[in-house]
Amino acid sequence: MLAEFWMWITDLGNSKMVALVIFFTTFVGIVLYVYSNKARSERLESYRYVPFLDDDEYKPQEVSPKQGEK
Amino acid sequence: MLKHESIETNSGLLIVLTLIAIGIGGLVEIVPLHYIDSTIEDVKDPQTGLEMVRPYSPLELRGRDIYIREGCYTCHSQMIRPFRDEDLRYGHYSLAAESKYDHPFQWGSKRTGPDLARVGAKYSNAWHTQHLMAPRSVVPESIMPNYPWLMTTNLDYSDVADRMIALKKVGVPYTLTKDEYAGWTDDKGQKHPGTLERFGEQVANTLDINRAEDSLLAQAKAGNYDGDPSSISEMDALVAYLQVLGTMVDFSKFDEDYFIQFR
Amino acid sequence: MAHSAVVSSEQYNYEIVKKFAIAAIVWGIAGMTTGVYIASELAWPFLNFDIAQITFGRLRPVHTSGVIFGFGGNALFATSYYIVQRTCQVRLAGGTFWPNFTFWGWNLALIVAGIGYTFGISQGREYAEPEWYVDIAIAVVWVVYFLIYTVTLVRRNQPHIYVANWFFMSFILATALLHIFNNLTMPVSLLGAKSYSLFSGVQDAMTQWWYGHNAVGFFLTAAFLGMMYYFVPKQAGRPVYSYRLSIVHFWALSFMYMWVGTHHLHWTAIPDWTSSLAAVFSILLLMPSWGGMINGIMTLSGAWDKLRTDPIMMFLITSLSFYGMSTFEGPMMSLKSVNALSHYTDWTVGHVHSGALGWVAMVSIGSFYHMIPRIWNTTIYSTKLIYTHFFLATIGVILYITALWVSGIGQGLMLRAFDEYGNLAYTFVETVVFMHGPLVARAIGGMFFLSGMFVMAYNVYMTIARAKQEEKTPVIAAAQA
Repeated sequence: MLAEFWMWITDLGNSKMVALVIFFTTFVGIVLYVYSNKARSERLESYRYVPFLDDDEYKPQEVSPKQGEK
Repeated sequence: MLKHESIETNSGLLIVLTLIAIGIGGLVEIVPLHYIDSTIEDVKDPQTGLEMVRPYSPLELRGRDIYIREGCYTCHSQMIRPFRDEDLRYGHYSLAAESKYDHPFQWGSKRTGPDLARVGAKYSNAWHTQHLMAPRSVVPESIMPNYPWLMTTNLDYSDVADRMIALKKVGVPYTLTKDEYAGWTDDKGQKHPGTLERFGEQVANTLDINRAEDSLLAQAKAGNYDGDPSSISEMDALVAYLQVLGTMVDFSKFDEDYFIQFR
Repeated sequence: MAHSAVVSSEQYNYEIVKKFAIAAIVWGIAGMTTGVYIASELAWPFLNFDIAQITFGRLRPVHTSGVIFGFGGNALFATSYYIVQRTCQVRLAGGTFWPNFTFWGWNLALIVAGIGYTFGISQGREYAEPEWYVDIAIAVVWVVYFLIYTVTLVRRNQPHIYVANWFFMSFILATALLHIFNNLTMPVSLLGAKSYSLFSGVQDAMTQWWYGHNAVGFFLTAAFLGMMYYFVPKQAGRPVYSYRLSIVHFWALSFMYMWVGTHHLHWTAIPDWTSSLAAVFSILLLMPSWGGMINGIMTLSGAWDKLRTDPIMMFLITSLSFYGMSTFEGPMMSLKSVNALSHYTDWTVGHVHSGALGWVAMVSIGSFYHMIPRIWNTTIYSTKLIYTHFFLATIGVILYITALWVSGIGQGLMLRAFDEYGNLAYTFVETVVFMHGPLVARAIGGMFFLSGMFVMAYNVYMTIARAKQEEKTPVIAAAQA
């Protein structure tokens, strides 16, 4: 059984197809994961502000948090 | 379930997954080239059965080192593509086998000057010497630098045997022992052909590391590549190398479309 | 304000960032001067002066190593050390010794390699010319760099690892992988410089261009995207356009780049399946590349007026435009039919420079103008000079790539032209004659870009000098701030 599978997968025509399917599903998986869930999307987008969390030059203004801006 | 969040917050996981993502492409494209036999075709003389592509002789090898030293590959390619114009201009397209002893390959990426894959035997030694000394004296429009120091610098061939030994370690069939030269049979009865059987006596002698210096001197003397028999200059070595480029495979011995099957 | 800035310069290791930033500018000028000189040698060959050490063949690797590893490398060390500290809100790991080790190790290795090239010490493989002993030194420096970077990430005070750091991490990993495998060689003697590569012919070509293209993909693209993901939002004062897009295009880019190297070997003796595979992935790569470009440019949406008023923003957005253009041109040139014409010609050289000057250099320059006043705790000496630099650089790049389009496409067409009897219409040297004009224009384009670098060096020098003065007279500094 395993040997049979090995013979099948070592054929370039078959392995190409399998690889394409694997890579493409991984890609679609990542896209779905990133964009599907609303709460998750909001969490991910909140990381956009990481570079501004350390802004010593603007610290006095941090009373009105930067996150409020859009 | 594996969450992307855990990648974002775990540097170890980020490293591992990134390595996987960047590793696959190289593995798929490089590893098979070392195992698939058809990558490099066997080119044997149809009459004698000898291998046509041979390692460089000691003098040619030193010439090749100078070719690399001067950075010739930054302006000249050594790879003829299968197009009609290149066939007319340079000759038969390059075979994989023709660079199988090239450590490193010198296919190049830019033709500021013409391709050199088959420049061998197209011009005389005197032309090459004159052209390397002062390119514009033979081709007025040329933009190649002059290389006068090649003529005035004596070739240092003191370590040519060491160079051949280094190449032997990475797989070039230069020989040190009698077995490697004449062939041997191992304990299991498996025959290992020597360079004598693979390339014929004349070539096999030039591949013998023990005789490297003699062979280099003999070829330089017989060839007198730079026209000055009193000394062996770097010019001698470089011209010897240029004159062998692309000449190892004699295409007249094969049908016109023989090599198509390997592409 | 002055108070909190002092805190940040104590909290973070800015000394190492300063060193790398200055080194990057010095290497940029040295590498680009060499570039202008060898470009002039092609236009006026007498400039070779029959001196072995300065012939085109020996100086060309000095130029490529100088700008890629000298300018680009030092700029990446500087910005990555700056970004990782500020986005992780933690001081750089390794104390003062190990970051300094990477600085001296990297720069000494490059100097040894560069002097070696002029004396003909070269592996003869493009962008991997340093001989084995320099390669080993670079590998050691790189491992230390990886450890400093990783330990800093692990120690971070911010739970999330910001996307810029992902790009830097994939750049560090990929460069290590590429450098080590592509430089496997057999030295002739442990006391000599010469070595022979482990692989030969087809396998050597494949390994070399897997390295060569991914030096572009990870060293000159992924890492500079990391730079972009920090400095564009900071300079714009707005967060990046879409964080989700950055996740998708990070993984797609990391995965796909490694496949495309073989498009440098179309129509050669390499097996056809590898080059077809590379062509397909090259086309696909357009999408993640443009994902990054769109993400950067759209960051400015709603604040487009900054493009008129802020010369640093002009640098950053122009660099992204060139990035978009060259990542469109690249896949097109990897089509076998286009490649048949473009390969071996100046078109390729022009394409590389639209990426290297237009994208890599301009995004670094923009980032430096943002970063340098901050690490020296001052303001830039002259905004006007940044404008001047911007126009010199832009004119230079456009002149450069246009000239090489003419030269490359022209030569490609001439070489494949036939007369009415089916003979070749032109000899090779006739194409050389044709290329003279474009090659002169190219050298002039390079001079424009280089003169911009001198303007930058002056501006940065005056900025630092003023910062030092302010340091001595803190009262005035506080008043100015």
